[in-house]
Amino acid sequence: MKRSWIIAPAVVAAAMLGVATSSVAAERTVKIAGFGAKSGVVRSFGVNTEAVMRAAADHINKGGGVKLGDGATGKIEVTFDDDRCNAEEGISVLRRIAGTDAVVAVGPTCSNVAEPLFGILQKKVGDAGDSGVQMPIFTDTAIKGGLAKISDWAFRNVPNESEMYQKLFAWIKAEHGELKTVYGGVEEDFAHSRFTWHKVMKVRAPEAGFEVVGESKWLLNDTNFATQVREMKKAKADIVAISAHPFTTCGVLKEMQRQRVKPKLLVGLTSSSSLETLQGCAKQAEGIIIPTSFAPVTPAAKVAADLSAEKGGSADLHSAAAWEIMMVLKGVIETSGVTAKPDTVQDDRRKIRDGLAALKETEGLLGTIQRTAEGEAIKPYVYVHAKGGSWAVLHDPGS
Amino acid sequence: MEFIDIVLSISDGVLFGTTYALIGIGFTMIFGVMHKINLAYAATSIGGAYVSWAISTLVPLPAILVFLISAIAAGVIGWLVYLCCFRLVPLDTPLTTLLATVGMLIFIDEVVVHETDGMPQPYPAIFDDVFFEFGEFGLRGDLLFIFVLSFAAMLVLLYLLYRTRLGIATRAVAQQPMAAQLCGISIERTNASTFVITGMLGGLAGAMIGASVGVLSPLLTLPVTVKGLIVTVIGGLGSIPGAIIAGLMVGAFENLFLALRGVTERDMYVMLLLFLFLTFRPGGLFHRSALRD
Repeated sequence: MKRSWIIAPAVVAAAMLGVATSSVAAERTVKIAGFGAKSGVVRSFGVNTEAVMRAAADHINKGGGVKLGDGATGKIEVTFDDDRCNAEEGISVLRRIAGTDAVVAVGPTCSNVAEPLFGILQKKVGDAGDSGVQMPIFTDTAIKGGLAKISDWAFRNVPNESEMYQKLFAWIKAEHGELKTVYGGVEEDFAHSRFTWHKVMKVRAPEAGFEVVGESKWLLNDTNFATQVREMKKAKADIVAISAHPFTTCGVLKEMQRQRVKPKLLVGLTSSSSLETLQGCAKQAEGIIIPTSFAPVTPAAKVAADLSAEKGGSADLHSAAAWEIMMVLKGVIETSGVTAKPDTVQDDRRKIRDGLAALKETEGLLGTIQRTAEGEAIKPYVYVHAKGGSWAVLHDPGS
Repeated sequence: MEFIDIVLSISDGVLFGTTYALIGIGFTMIFGVMHKINLAYAATSIGGAYVSWAISTLVPLPAILVFLISAIAAGVIGWLVYLCCFRLVPLDTPLTTLLATVGMLIFIDEVVVHETDGMPQPYPAIFDDVFFEFGEFGLRGDLLFIFVLSFAAMLVLLYLLYRTRLGIATRAVAQQPMAAQLCGISIERTNASTFVITGMLGGLAGAMIGASVGVLSPLLTLPVTVKGLIVTVIGGLGSIPGAIIAGLMVGAFENLFLALRGVTERDMYVMLLLFLFLTFRPGGLFHRSALRD
């Protein structure tokens, strides 16, 4: 009897330890490695993406986490590295991530990083002769057209600008039949803005029946736009389309105001539909129309925007894509049998890659997102315009 | 390209060139006094403008007061740069101060980036809605204001240098540091005051650049540094009149090449101009003879 009293606490303690151990074993950590620009003039992109990813991870974890392939529950843990919008640093960051137990990477911010970065991934999945990095990457921001086809391990959730501007110019033509001419302004030394003017806007505008009557070019860190705006003024175009990032967009808009260049309509670059533009030149940007794949117009989008704001970030067309990515990853992890054990990292990465490749459509913040065979997204979008210091939805082409 | 377009481009360039001249004067004065290059100078200028912007977000201020705060703040930053990169480091190795100022440039830039997330911030301007039109010819009111204010600052500087005891001390240290010291002039105090004065001048330039664009961005630091160095070389290291003329020249040439050859070739021609000076007139605009072997 006495002996059993001595043993009893030990048995209880052992039982409790066993319960604790099994609960630890049942709840694992699923590591998702974010990376992007958190230095330099594009820092806000990385800051926003990180905040949105952390907000989404918290949202998922509070909802019970993710169900893993062996029945255990996983909590998502987000890490975030700065690639400084620099290709070499981006590659170095990815190699470092590949050496950790992260099962998937989300990023990068800049197209000039994404392009070479996708180049170091294994091109064709399962190719034993290709020693490229085997890590699924899901991109939220780098928007330059057609990059995901570089590798089977690369996926993107960025808007299809070509389609967005095609529809936008067609809509403008339908709404404002009196407008005939377009003049372009382009930030010539930035991959995204250059691509969007020369390969998208300049091509799509004539298709919609507009005549492109000229273009002015400037550089990302220019300070004086007088000559370019003078050229713009001489062209007397009905529409001025500016393919530039917020700093020079604001510089040009302010110069247009000084020189009294008043086109009947202004069209902007997708990336300019952000807080930065309004912070820099809300008054001059008034009325500018921009197609965007994010606006807090649905309940889900409002939740994403609010929770991201609590984490110190702003949900915009780029960072909100990171929220969608996190939700897609949750689904893929749950359906593809990821176990998130230390010895299954490479298997888990392959399962996530295969899961992402198999997706035909996903649920986004503005509606259903189509997935292409090349790893790209066809996202729903709306047209927003700057109105009274904020972005307001002008038209929903999907409605 | 019509003749009037070329005239307009050059006039805009000359007006904006006064900001380059101010930056060039700062580089050249520090070199004149200490025989060292302060690569953090443009960052100091833009840093001053950022401080004034930050204060103006807390307390609404008239633009002219914002510019003044920028000058004062940059003067303080200039003094800190002197302490960190010149006063407290060994001066006998030329590379030490050069690298220290490179580090300071990056440091100031990163502080700005981290505090603003790199986002462009609106900066006040004066007469930015004024545009003088004379037929086809037109001039921006704000650029004219910048031109006048910058020239006034240059005149004040010249007065300081040539009509005050501080100026005499500064010139004495620049010409004969040993003799100046024997006359009881404190080299350290003179150096520090040079950094404060040039910092204030730079702060005014930073404010003028921000006002002319209407927006402040960390993107401004690098091009302003490069333009300042080009102006300093073309004007002649240590020559204030040279820096003034070179600043206006670089502004004009930059805009002329932009109008004639486009933005993608513009900087190429400005650099070519720099190489021409380095090759054929390495002493700068007002140097009596080329100092070549």
